[in-house]
Amino acid sequence: MPVAVRTRSGGRRGRRTAVPYVFLTPAVALFVLTFLLPIGYAVYLSLRKVQVSGLGLGRGSRTEVFAGLANYRAALADPTLLTGALRVFGYGALLVPVMLGLALLFALLLDRPRVGLQRVSRIAIFLPYAVPAVIASLLWGFLYLPATSPLNDTLDWLGGPQPDLLGTGTVFYAVVNIALWGGVGFNMIVLFTALRAIPPELYESARIDGCSELQIAWRIKIPLLTPALVMTTVFTMIATLQVFSEPMTLRPLTNSISSTWTPLMKIYRDAFATDDRYAAAATSVIVALVTLVLSFGFLRLVQRRAFGQER
Amino acid sequence: MRRSLGAKIMVTTLAASLATSLVAACGSDSGDDGPIELTFWSWAPEIEQVVDAWNADNPDIKVTLSKQAGGGDIVTKLLTANQAGNPPDLAQVEYQSLPTLVSNDVLADIADLAGDAQSAFAEGVWQQVTLGTDAVYAIPQDAGPMMLYYRADLFEQFGLTVPTTWNEFAQTARDLRAQTTDHYLTTFSANDPGWFAGLAQQAGAAWWAIDGEAWRVTVDDPATRQVAEFWGGLVTEDVVDDQPMYTPEWNQALNDGTLLAWPSAIWGPGVLAGNAADTEGRWEMAPLPQWTAGANVTGNWGGSSTGVTEKSPHREAAVKFATWMNTDPAATELLVRESAIYPAARDAQTGPALADPPAFFANQPDFYALAQEIADTAAGFTWGPNVNVTYQTYMDSFAAAITDGTPFVDAVAAMQTATVGDMRDNGFSIAE
Amino acid sequence: MATAHPQPAAATTRRRPHRPRPHRPRPQLVPTIVLLTGAVYCLLPVAWVLVAATKSGSSLFSTFTFAPGDALFANIAELSAYRGGQFWRWVANTALYAGVGALASAALSGLSGYTLAKYDFVGRSAIFNTLLAGVLVPGVILAVPQYLLLAKIGLADTYWSVLLPSIISPYGIYLARIYAAAAVPDTVIEAARTDGAGEFRIFRQVAVPMMIPGLITVFLFQFVAIWNNFLLPFIMLADDNKFPVTLGLYTLLNQGSTTPALYSLVITGSLLSIIPLVALFLSLQRYWRIDLLSGSIKA
Repeated sequence: MPVAVRTRSGGRRGRRTAVPYVFLTPAVALFVLTFLLPIGYAVYLSLRKVQVSGLGLGRGSRTEVFAGLANYRAALADPTLLTGALRVFGYGALLVPVMLGLALLFALLLDRPRVGLQRVSRIAIFLPYAVPAVIASLLWGFLYLPATSPLNDTLDWLGGPQPDLLGTGTVFYAVVNIALWGGVGFNMIVLFTALRAIPPELYESARIDGCSELQIAWRIKIPLLTPALVMTTVFTMIATLQVFSEPMTLRPLTNSISSTWTPLMKIYRDAFATDDRYAAAATSVIVALVTLVLSFGFLRLVQRRAFGQER
Repeated sequence: MRRSLGAKIMVTTLAASLATSLVAACGSDSGDDGPIELTFWSWAPEIEQVVDAWNADNPDIKVTLSKQAGGGDIVTKLLTANQAGNPPDLAQVEYQSLPTLVSNDVLADIADLAGDAQSAFAEGVWQQVTLGTDAVYAIPQDAGPMMLYYRADLFEQFGLTVPTTWNEFAQTARDLRAQTTDHYLTTFSANDPGWFAGLAQQAGAAWWAIDGEAWRVTVDDPATRQVAEFWGGLVTEDVVDDQPMYTPEWNQALNDGTLLAWPSAIWGPGVLAGNAADTEGRWEMAPLPQWTAGANVTGNWGGSSTGVTEKSPHREAAVKFATWMNTDPAATELLVRESAIYPAARDAQTGPALADPPAFFANQPDFYALAQEIADTAAGFTWGPNVNVTYQTYMDSFAAAITDGTPFVDAVAAMQTATVGDMRDNGFSIAE
Repeated sequence: MATAHPQPAAATTRRRPHRPRPHRPRPQLVPTIVLLTGAVYCLLPVAWVLVAATKSGSSLFSTFTFAPGDALFANIAELSAYRGGQFWRWVANTALYAGVGALASAALSGLSGYTLAKYDFVGRSAIFNTLLAGVLVPGVILAVPQYLLLAKIGLADTYWSVLLPSIISPYGIYLARIYAAAAVPDTVIEAARTDGAGEFRIFRQVAVPMMIPGLITVFLFQFVAIWNNFLLPFIMLADDNKFPVTLGLYTLLNQGSTTPALYSLVITGSLLSIIPLVALFLSLQRYWRIDLLSGSIKA
């Protein structure tokens, strides 16, 4: 269903009124407090650095000075940033279609009649989202590490090979799997609720006319879902460009993931591990800009389909 | 949502405390009349018992404990809290974090208030909290001298002798692998820089030194390179494993004997008891293998101290508590018994709490006597102001060396480059 | 994919209408299997949490990964005994943060989404795009500046320090906007206006009931997000009595390499943490069955 297209009927809505501004004030105020001001401070930080004199141990030997674009230059000169970015693009190219495809599939299946175990499936597919990340390292450690993995145990019992799921070649897919497992439920619910908003009369008549469920899905539901699909894609893209917690959970388990495996991990390392907040700020401005360009570029590309199409 | 009655009461209480804390947060707390209130951040298990004991005997100085995550996390929180102006009064900090915290003006110089605590500690330990200067930045709490733990029953089963030198260690590893490919003698972990630093200390490494008004940085000194080459050779030969420690797989290996030995530190029994409780009584402790036969040196892995923050308004009371906790016999006994740490205070090391071996090593009655001998041989070490950078580079470059099969000495060179580069970037004076 | 279907695939209007079946139709096999596979894939790691929580510390690393133990209640008892029941305090904290936070977030998102969808005013798309752009900034980099800012106003290490940033959710506002646009017809609003209702009253009494499924979704997601959020409370809170469950369990797990991690307690705590979320999800499911009132399609 189109999102924001509606006919202008003039009248009060067209007149200038303060009501929308008043309604938006709490959101805007909170946004300024929790997003804009911190972002501004982060940008400010990205232009500063620490300068120490001598040994740096005495009182006041450490001052913050203006650094210009030095942090940006250092960030861009770091080869791990580029390799991390390329890795993330590959990761996104694999994850986004698979995850959204599966989410769409499950949402459509949950929306049709005569599918068994709907309630069970719905809660089951939602559950990964509910598992706290604090035990993710433990959880995936048990499931992936060869000594404890039930996969290895089963293959061993069947006489098959013992895969190393966390080796240099396979760890990439291990990370994708974690993200897929954790995210498909979330996106499925979003698409499912959007499907629920479609009035059933639309396809009741098609059903009566003899359309199969597959055709109804393909010809009616998916086109109506397009705006939700597009925006879900955008948000998933943004989330995958910022992938951080999935590789972080695997990092203590294997030698195959460095602390700069993705750009966000580099930012986290700078901010929290080596306590170099200035470099972290500069790198995140770069990452945010790239994400902005990519996501709004994508939106522009599909704009007509997302917001302009009429039924 | 499920809500038990208890939870409902909790929520009401919390709502009340929310209101109170809102009020309290806006005002500043000076505690002029009534007991002095100190906040203490720590992660040592069961340390609340020590705090409770203090509070019972000292109604005029009340210490409130807040358990934090350990290691590097607490350093990050201290730095941000200090920048925001509300750090705790006391914090448990590892020795290697002290220069970073001092450099950021987090910790106070308590030399005038704590000078006489010096006599309670060994020279090498005290040096870690003075950073080689006249100032005192923390009171040492515990030490982590390194020693070797090994499965005595499996050593007997495979006919291995306990190595006393590193060459013997390599040979033992090879002998084991010649007999079975299901076991390794031990693993080299690219995820535990403190472990490697301790091994390097034993070889005589000195990564940082203060040379007048400048730092001297030699992470890639010959001793460290020797250690790196040794272990690199073992990993390449596939006679030791190359997986990180503290993973479910490693825990399982300790349980089922896949790994026979663990070069670790004095706090090892606690970890073994937690992860491999069923193997109790089958392990034994011996000094670390030496680089030259007949030598008697070890390194330190871990160990923490209690620091007082610069911004604390009750410095004297805080120092009083810190000194009591780490030197008073009653307190150190609680630390040993409840928190399972090895005290840095010399008297406590020979105290009654350490007369019996840890429960996990009941088969080795002279455990702590041997441990004290080993602790006396621990080499000193000067930590630099950017240990975090060195440690992060260790993890990345050694992990890459393992997966790429490149020499470990190259990884050490990477650590040196990164450390010096970071210090230069920040303006530290580096001696040439 | 081919489905077994009683009707021929071709749809023409000349076909005679399908006779209604007298009995409840049997579920179709292939879609059910697909869903079931997805469910099993998602459930397997969760099953691990359940199984691991039944094991005592000593058997956690010495038995087959999916072999259940018998120490579930012992683990729960041990967890409850930690520091005199601090775990339950953490649960109460989390309920406060997530419950209040998600409610406020749903309300705020509903109001903002409705405003953005149903009013046309200067700066509308600018505000919307700016709000959405908030999603672009990784939380990792916002954490420390947010902390310093809140510390300046004296709110650090308070419940507000976790609540305030949790209430604003750009994604929630976006969802609410979609819902408002799709579910609340302009005709109904106009009718209410001509009846003389005030704008806020229209929102409260006309729009909100229509937007319920969307607001429920926003509530659920914000609830789960806040429930499982780690970085924000980690940086904001110093007093461990204010910790949420995630942060509390993290401190149990990360007591440094020199002390044993309390694996069993952490796993048991995580299991207990999942249960309220499941209960919440189950109780909110029925809201998704409500068909929208007028079902009007925008022309």
